[in-house]
Amino acid sequence: MTSQPIPPSSLPSFSKASEPMIKVEGLRKSFNGREVLKGISFEVFPGEMLAIIGPSGCGKSTLLKLITGLLEPDAGKITLNSEQIGLVFQGSALLNSLTVRENLALALRERKLPKREQDKAIMEDLTLVGLADYIDSFPTQLSGGQQKRTSFARAIVNDPQIILYDEPTTGLDPVMSTVIEDYMIELEKQLHAAGIVVTHQFSTWTRTAHRAILLNQGVVVWEGKPHEALNSTNPYIIQFAKATREGPMLAGKV
Amino acid sequence: MDRPNGITVANPLTLLDKYLGIVLQLVGQATIMFLQTMRYIFRGELSLSEAFRQANMIGLGSLYVVGVTGLFTGFAMSLQISKELAAFGADTAVGGVVALALIREIGPITAGVMVAGRVGSAMAAELSSMVVSEQIDALKIMRVDPVQFLVVPRFLAALVMMPALSIYSMFLGLGGAIFIAQAKANIPPETFLDSVKQTVVGTDFITHIIKSLVFATIIIFFSCSIGLSARGGAEDVGHATTRAVVWTMTIIFIVNYIITALSPLHAS
Amino acid sequence: MQASDAKKLAASPYLLVEDWVSIGVRLAGQVGIVIAKTFYYLLRLQIDWQESIRQAYFIGVKSFLIVSLTALFTGLAMSLQIAIQLVQFGGESAIGGVVSLALIRQIGPITAAIIVAGRVGSSIAAELTTMNVSEQIDALKVMRIDPIKFLVVPRFVGAMMMMPVLSIYAMFIGIFAGMVIALVYADVSFGVFLDSAKAMVIDQDFFVHFLKAFINAAIVIFYSCAIGLNTRGGAADVGNAVTRSVVWSMTVMFIVNYIVTDLTYEGPR
Ligand SMILES: Nc1ncnc2c1ncn2[C@@H]1O[C@H](COP(=O)(O)OP(=O)(O)O)[C@@H](O)[C@H]1O
Ligand SMILES: [Mg+2]
Repeated sequence: MTSQPIPPSSLPSFSKASEPMIKVEGLRKSFNGREVLKGISFEVFPGEMLAIIGPSGCGKSTLLKLITGLLEPDAGKITLNSEQIGLVFQGSALLNSLTVRENLALALRERKLPKREQDKAIMEDLTLVGLADYIDSFPTQLSGGQQKRTSFARAIVNDPQIILYDEPTTGLDPVMSTVIEDYMIELEKQLHAAGIVVTHQFSTWTRTAHRAILLNQGVVVWEGKPHEALNSTNPYIIQFAKATREGPMLAGKV
Repeated sequence: MDRPNGITVANPLTLLDKYLGIVLQLVGQATIMFLQTMRYIFRGELSLSEAFRQANMIGLGSLYVVGVTGLFTGFAMSLQISKELAAFGADTAVGGVVALALIREIGPITAGVMVAGRVGSAMAAELSSMVVSEQIDALKIMRVDPVQFLVVPRFLAALVMMPALSIYSMFLGLGGAIFIAQAKANIPPETFLDSVKQTVVGTDFITHIIKSLVFATIIIFFSCSIGLSARGGAEDVGHATTRAVVWTMTIIFIVNYIITALSPLHAS
Repeated sequence: MQASDAKKLAASPYLLVEDWVSIGVRLAGQVGIVIAKTFYYLLRLQIDWQESIRQAYFIGVKSFLIVSLTALFTGLAMSLQIAIQLVQFGGESAIGGVVSLALIRQIGPITAAIIVAGRVGSSIAAELTTMNVSEQIDALKVMRIDPIKFLVVPRFVGAMMMMPVLSIYAMFIGIFAGMVIALVYADVSFGVFLDSAKAMVIDQDFFVHFLKAFINAAIVIFYSCAIGLNTRGGAADVGNAVTRSVVWSMTVMFIVNYIVTDLTYEGPR
């Protein structure tokens, strides 16, 4: 699968004329004296989807938590041009004690909409991810893919200007992965938000992102367009995209 | 239960039926595990080094909780009893009354409840997370009996450590009681100890030790069987741990009374 | 964690004590923050009453059976010991008073508290840690919902509503057990028992009873919530959080119980 050439993306276009929606400069973060992120910088423009790729444990989730403010950086600067952020968690993170409707209503709570409008927004949102019939189900009654889609719906119910995905397809079967990727592309068209998708799944970053950056050992080792990845001379991205043992990654670790 | 939506009032009979079913199943599991454990012990199929390691953990893990609670129980008991009795001019009886209460009732039950909370819950947590991470399945595939491998050493360790912890708690409680009796009711430590010596008899210690051995058995077999019968994920580990605490404590309270009622009681 | 404890103890017992103290201080800090934020919302009356009543209901339902059993058997054991002593002195008529006093002031509140710590505190710690481990707490924060307001306040309010009910209930069961023992063991009729209780127990004792009930409930809720909201990791950590919440809330309750006894006890009457 990974050896096939990557088609140039057919994603909605965006322009770099405006201000970047997300701007990250020189970000550093340590846990217990071990530096996980060693100075990361990038920008994401409205309508653009940036993929952050890299091996497990390289700090991708940490990066998203820094952007959403769940963690404080040790150094560096994060500038966001909007307050409206949607985050799709790696494990869905739906509140198990609430129904699908109540989970979504929680995200809308700050808007203080009248009940009718709130219900309408929730219904529209669920229809978009194909879960209108499950509005009064509990998260534990849904399959893994359905939970994932519900957490999508929760992330976008506020019409965010920034949408972040943490490994949206990891652990799903290939067919469900494609379904989720299609939803992501569909949302890019509809929302025109700035997006970041964190993943190590080949199909996900090559299909949904305009641009990708590769992290290794806390630094950016490659940046470029997904369809250029395999033609690159950068040994890191060649190794990562071809999933081979030979290369600079994990050197000395295995 | 999963749906905390509306409040539905369950039929008390159904509830009782449900509880009875759970109790019978639980007692059954614990009893079977007890019998299996005894079989391994009588055949000598046990790992003393693992038991020693467990004893170390049980002792160290509970040292501080059992100590602090024992001490403050002694304080609270002595505060009220010494003032009351001193007012009647019965200074010389304080030590005996406090010591009897600590040795027969309050000491063992406090230590039992604290060890249930500390050790029982930790074992249920450990074993149930071994189940959900498929470590127990891995043992079974290697034809290792989880009861022999996990439960037997824990039981042996608890049988040794529980009386030790209980006596340690009792002595801290007595120390606390002597201190408070002097500080709050001007009863000198010698008077207190004389009264203890006159009142407490050998059978009180035997009752104390028997209680601690029985509590250790309850804690180990209920926590381990609850832990090993867990299924699912993180949430279920939490449920199993909670269940272990609740059941071991309840059963300790009940069995405590039974032993009290059966033991040769005498008045001071 | 325990294996490293063993190594530390071998090195120096002092190190181990230091460790407990530093864990205790950090936890006390976390509990302090939870308490401060909870009261911030309580004073502004930002309380979800519906959710609070639901929590009260669950606390009651979860604890009902186990409180009944423990109160009954504690009452039986206590009264048996007291009756034996008093019969020896020919003080049968005082059994009712002594048993009731002990149950109302000391044994009743601490038994109810132990049970609530074991039942309610441990399940709150399990629930909140599970939410934390599965990133549900992060999801709340991303939606700018304070977990304290959303999760802790209703549990606290619910516990404050339910605790006096459970406490009174436990007290009555315990005293009933005392009456049965007095009748069977010392031939003291219910009437004599109750007369003695009425003569000895005063309003102040009920005040102490409720004071302890409220304080113990608060300790259980705040410790279990603080531990739940500050524990991360995986399945094993959920179990460890339950253990920590039971151990710490019980330890703190025993200490506070003594302090309250000391402050409220006015000597013999
Ligand atoms: N809260 C935390 N405390 C300590 N270490 C952490 C914490 N969060 C993440 N780490 C560590 O930082 C590294 C990166 O984690 P993470 O961002 O989750 O990786 P990824 O999402 O790329 O797989 C890992 O080694 C992880 O153990
Ligand atoms: Mg991650």
